[in-house]
Amino acid sequence: MSTWRHYLFLVCFATTALALSVRVVYLGVTERDFLQEEGDRRSVYKEDLPAMRGMIYDRNGEALAVSTPVFAVAVNPKLFDATNQTELSELARVLELGAGELERTILNNRQRGFLYLRRHVSWERMDAVRQLKLGHVSLVPEYRRYYPAGESVAHVVGMTNIDDLGLEGIELAFEEQLRGEPGTKTVLRDRKGQAIDDLEYGRAPRFGTDLQLSIDSRLQYIAYRELKSAVQSHSAKSGSLIMVDVKTGEILALVNQPSFNPNGPINQRIPTRNRVVTDTYEPGSTIKPFTAMAALETGRYGSDSKIETSPGYFWIDNKMIQDPVNLNTISLSQAIQKSSQVAIAKVTLDLPEGSVFQVLQRSGIGEYVGTGLPGEAIGRFSNVGRTSRVSRVVMSYGYGFSVTPMQLASAYVTLASHGNRLPLSILKRTRPPESERVFDIEAAAEVVAMMEQVTERGGTAAKASIDHYRVAGKTGTARVLGQNGYNDERHVALFAGIAPVSDPRIVMVVVVNEPQSGSASGGQVAAPIFARVAEHSLRLLGVMPDKNRSGVDESPRANTLLAKRDR
Amino acid sequence: MALAALLVGVIASGISVVKGAQELRSLHTALDQSQKAQDRLLAEHSRLLLERSTFAGLQTVEVVATQELQMAFPAEIKEVVP
Repeated sequence: MSTWRHYLFLVCFATTALALSVRVVYLGVTERDFLQEEGDRRSVYKEDLPAMRGMIYDRNGEALAVSTPVFAVAVNPKLFDATNQTELSELARVLELGAGELERTILNNRQRGFLYLRRHVSWERMDAVRQLKLGHVSLVPEYRRYYPAGESVAHVVGMTNIDDLGLEGIELAFEEQLRGEPGTKTVLRDRKGQAIDDLEYGRAPRFGTDLQLSIDSRLQYIAYRELKSAVQSHSAKSGSLIMVDVKTGEILALVNQPSFNPNGPINQRIPTRNRVVTDTYEPGSTIKPFTAMAALETGRYGSDSKIETSPGYFWIDNKMIQDPVNLNTISLSQAIQKSSQVAIAKVTLDLPEGSVFQVLQRSGIGEYVGTGLPGEAIGRFSNVGRTSRVSRVVMSYGYGFSVTPMQLASAYVTLASHGNRLPLSILKRTRPPESERVFDIEAAAEVVAMMEQVTERGGTAAKASIDHYRVAGKTGTARVLGQNGYNDERHVALFAGIAPVSDPRIVMVVVVNEPQSGSASGGQVAAPIFARVAEHSLRLLGVMPDKNRSGVDESPRANTLLAKRDR
Repeated sequence: MALAALLVGVIASGISVVKGAQELRSLHTALDQSQKAQDRLLAEHSRLLLERSTFAGLQTVEVVATQELQMAFPAEIKEVVP
């Protein structure tokens, strides 16, 4: 036996052993971090834990927007074998998708590592998918938004997109508060990409903050129902209604027509425009009470000051101001009751220049209401160049400037609260806001008294009167601006009202845009909507009746009852 | 003597590590189950909220009041109880 063979084997073994040790040191020490990382990358995954979005409630705690946990079914198209027909057809059956279509979608996205197959999948379906135990198919937890009140509050609450981000309304405006912060956890996955173990919770998801709105969903529903039926029966283009609590400035109801179903599919055609906030209209005669206020403030006018309107028209420079009929000599309050252009124009010319503008400005016209609802318009309102007699008169009956229905409601709250201007709010208030006195108490009460006559027999809005409650208000009819100035065929019918007169609780503004049926005036179209909504609303709010059914005046019987309560 | 003490210490700490790991695991499982339960309860909560708004909505209340209970609005107010 030769020794060289012995040494040859020895050297071979030694070299092999050395090579192995070097490799072990290389892998275990030098390259350790890199290899660990690569290994983790293939089996350890960080997953997002979605945070639940804050709920939205109405003022009484009724849910308006609810999030519910659901799942998204996703696939890794790089690794999932879409040509395996048994797996594919089972998946298609559970997800209720066409097998051929599913195969095409997966194959077309083969270069991607992640593909949603179906979003917002229920627990039952999720369990069914899990039962299939398919590789490279993952179930991603997520949340879906439901809107129990549906269409009636759609414009206020708005909606979210499929990824739970606010798109419209409150959902958009208060996105920061509503959105939570997702958490993370680390999981171990097997070769097929299925989680086999949770390794570590990084951060717990922080849920979004709940919001409580000032909206009363009962009043909201009534307003929605009445506005919808009125807009349909008048074949109007659109309509808006806003109701505000005079005591707190909270918005109790806000509806628009046409509306949409926030639970339905989202596309470009759905009417998401919140017209109460985003659209501006010429307020027309609804401004006349503010002109009366300007007159009262001079101290030279009272509600029974006589104004001569005969012969029912007069000329200012080249413009004829005209009433439908000759009203002869009327008082200031009759000028409001009958909505006389001539009387209001004559009063305005007698007032100091700019006084009507200032009254409107003090009541909040020309400023953002600032509730935070998205897309708020400010309207056109300026005193620049308004020095001619015609332009002053035009402003005194609500032309030549524009307001949003919400601005008009805000201005009427100032009158209804007897001269206190208070900020409006779409969120429920825990305590009354700071208000600012802008009108004299007596003068504001006198203007409201004049407006009460509007809803009485002989007024322009007798249809605004309701049982059991005294109401005040003012109609308005504006023409729509067409391509060649005012269009005489197209009108906007407005009504702004206050109820009950003895102790105002609600202010409501109703706007009906381009009613097609017969009469298009505020008194015929908008006032009846006010009446129907106010009647239900005051009862639901538990407001004390201040008049009896038949009598226009406060009935003695109700009086004694009211007195009894006060004692 | 010292060696024996060290041995006991090593064994004890080894057992406590195992125990800790076991506890971590069971807590992990508990947390996971609680989270699943929370999700299921949240899902049920929102379902119940939807149901409540259907059954206790103004619309349903009006129908029940006027048709089933034969209630009507008073024509004339005789007394108001505040």
